[in-house]
Amino acid sequence: MRIFLDRLYLYAGYAAGAFLVLIFGIMMFMSVGRQFGLNIPAGDDFASWCMAAMAFLGLAHTFKRGEIIRVGMLIERATGRKRWALEIIALGISTAFTLYFCWYAVSMTYDSYRFNDMAQGVLSVPLWIPQLGYCGGLVLLAIALIDEMIHVLKGNKPTYEKEPPSSPDEFVERIAAGGGG
Amino acid sequence: MHDFGLLNLSLILLAFMVFILSTGVWIAVGLGIVGLIAMLLTTSVPVGAVLATSVWSASASWTLAALPLFIWMGEILFRTRLSEEMFRGLAPWLQWLPGRLVHVNVIGCGIFAAVSGSSAATCATIGKIALPELEKRGYDKDISLGSLAGSGTLGLLIPPSIPMVVYAVTANVSVLQVFLAGFLPGLLVIVLYSGYIIGWSLLNPSKIPPRDPPMSFRKKLAASTKLIPCLLLILGVFFALVFGFATATECAAWGVSGALLLAWWSGTLNRKTFFESVMSATRLTCMIMLILGGAAYTTAAMAYTGIPAGLAEWVKGQHLTPGMLALYLSIMYIILGCLIDGISMIVLTMVIVLPMIQQAGIDLIWFGVYLIIHVEMAQITPPVGFNLFVLQNMSGRDTFAVARAAFPFFLLLIAAVFIITEFPQIVLVLPHMAFPPS
Repeated sequence: MRIFLDRLYLYAGYAAGAFLVLIFGIMMFMSVGRQFGLNIPAGDDFASWCMAAMAFLGLAHTFKRGEIIRVGMLIERATGRKRWALEIIALGISTAFTLYFCWYAVSMTYDSYRFNDMAQGVLSVPLWIPQLGYCGGLVLLAIALIDEMIHVLKGNKPTYEKEPPSSPDEFVERIAAGGGG
Repeated sequence: MHDFGLLNLSLILLAFMVFILSTGVWIAVGLGIVGLIAMLLTTSVPVGAVLATSVWSASASWTLAALPLFIWMGEILFRTRLSEEMFRGLAPWLQWLPGRLVHVNVIGCGIFAAVSGSSAATCATIGKIALPELEKRGYDKDISLGSLAGSGTLGLLIPPSIPMVVYAVTANVSVLQVFLAGFLPGLLVIVLYSGYIIGWSLLNPSKIPPRDPPMSFRKKLAASTKLIPCLLLILGVFFALVFGFATATECAAWGVSGALLLAWWSGTLNRKTFFESVMSATRLTCMIMLILGGAAYTTAAMAYTGIPAGLAEWVKGQHLTPGMLALYLSIMYIILGCLIDGISMIVLTMVIVLPMIQQAGIDLIWFGVYLIIHVEMAQITPPVGFNLFVLQNMSGRDTFAVARAAFPFFLLLIAAVFIITEFPQIVLVLPHMAFPPS
């Protein structure tokens, strides 16, 4: 189960990465292709759908790696039992909200499917297809949060909490790998 | 539906926001919950459906596709040997200036800033080589740390810039125009920094070691040739932006191509670095996108409450001049900047600040640059300043010592804010050149 879930987050993360490369490909093809009269029909739409898919599919992976930011000033001061309780509260609130969000994202996608909504672009693509990445990513995030909640409730250290870097080089690596500012 | 006074409602929401964020809930979730409560208190529209659709339409955005591409470009370049080449290529040319190699920090960061959109990455990349080299030669530690902390923040002001994309998307203005607006203020900050270093070293001649042995012109040139591709990439991106050759998203795609080419040319592009750069860029994008999604929903929710319109009314009633409003906002942003990171600061405040500045008649492009300079300050103010963390780790000194060293540069950023407030043309001339106002 543990291995299965971790793989699930990781592969969804890889899929998000693949969408990034795809956005790059689409934009380059359109930019170069314009000179030769080549075009991707609704290329802009595809790029924006890839964007949404990328942003949400990678969430669970990003969360587990501890790269979704929060204001850590208070919580990082607390230690021991108190810290544990605070983490549970933060996780509880986040899980509840994500489940709520997730429910509505899934029903939005299901409605698009049920009512056969079409994209208003050059190509009429059924909207539920691009929306799958969005609600799928949120479902994965909700699973990751529940998983994390159980993990911390059992008394473990949260996986999103990183060990302090052991060397300056490692720190620099981490900064480069997504240091917000 | 309940009837609260607008003021009470705003105070309740503000207090709740502070509370929820301080519990350590992830920022995007906190934003979403605040939006949720605002809507539950004031409207009877289906809250969950608004949540799902507003986040979807905010994230399936073609303009936003520039964001991951610019992030990726920076990630690729971070993995090249650019930083070593930067030091070796710049050092011979800056020996004659008072302050000598300290200027490498400023100019090096300025150049790297023009290919990277992140402050911490700029600071770390240049610092990796410059800090040990400067220490070896016996430069004063405070000035080298301080200048590095300050110059690293140029990564945010000189395009491409991640927070600028975030601002442009939340304020619904053109990414390209905000980018263009950043170039000259970036140069202004470089001039201020270098000017300060010159003045400082004239006053403290004992703290600047003698120059390195002179090199022949030809050798200098040879040391710099490796920087040429990087400079070409910057010029390419710059002209593509100015002459409207490409949209911001296309420009970003070309930037990625250029960065890949540069990495390949310098021999650092392999399967591992490529893969790592993609995954790092993906994670950073996901983090920012989740915050943007939360913000999009809060903005939609706030519109239902009537708070933004109320605030605009209030500003109108106060007869605030744009200058006074800018001053008040500066104070607020400097305080906020000490407590939270730059991107959250932009996103958290825009809902409230945007209607105010529109009412006061402040140009949104100008405000973007103004805001980004405050985000730069946030990077070097304790206790939460990202560049301080970077340098603390690289130099082994504590946050407050680094912050003290960076303090003069913080003041120089305030000076820059005053200058662009007095002379808004510095910000607006380039965007108006490329997009003549009708």
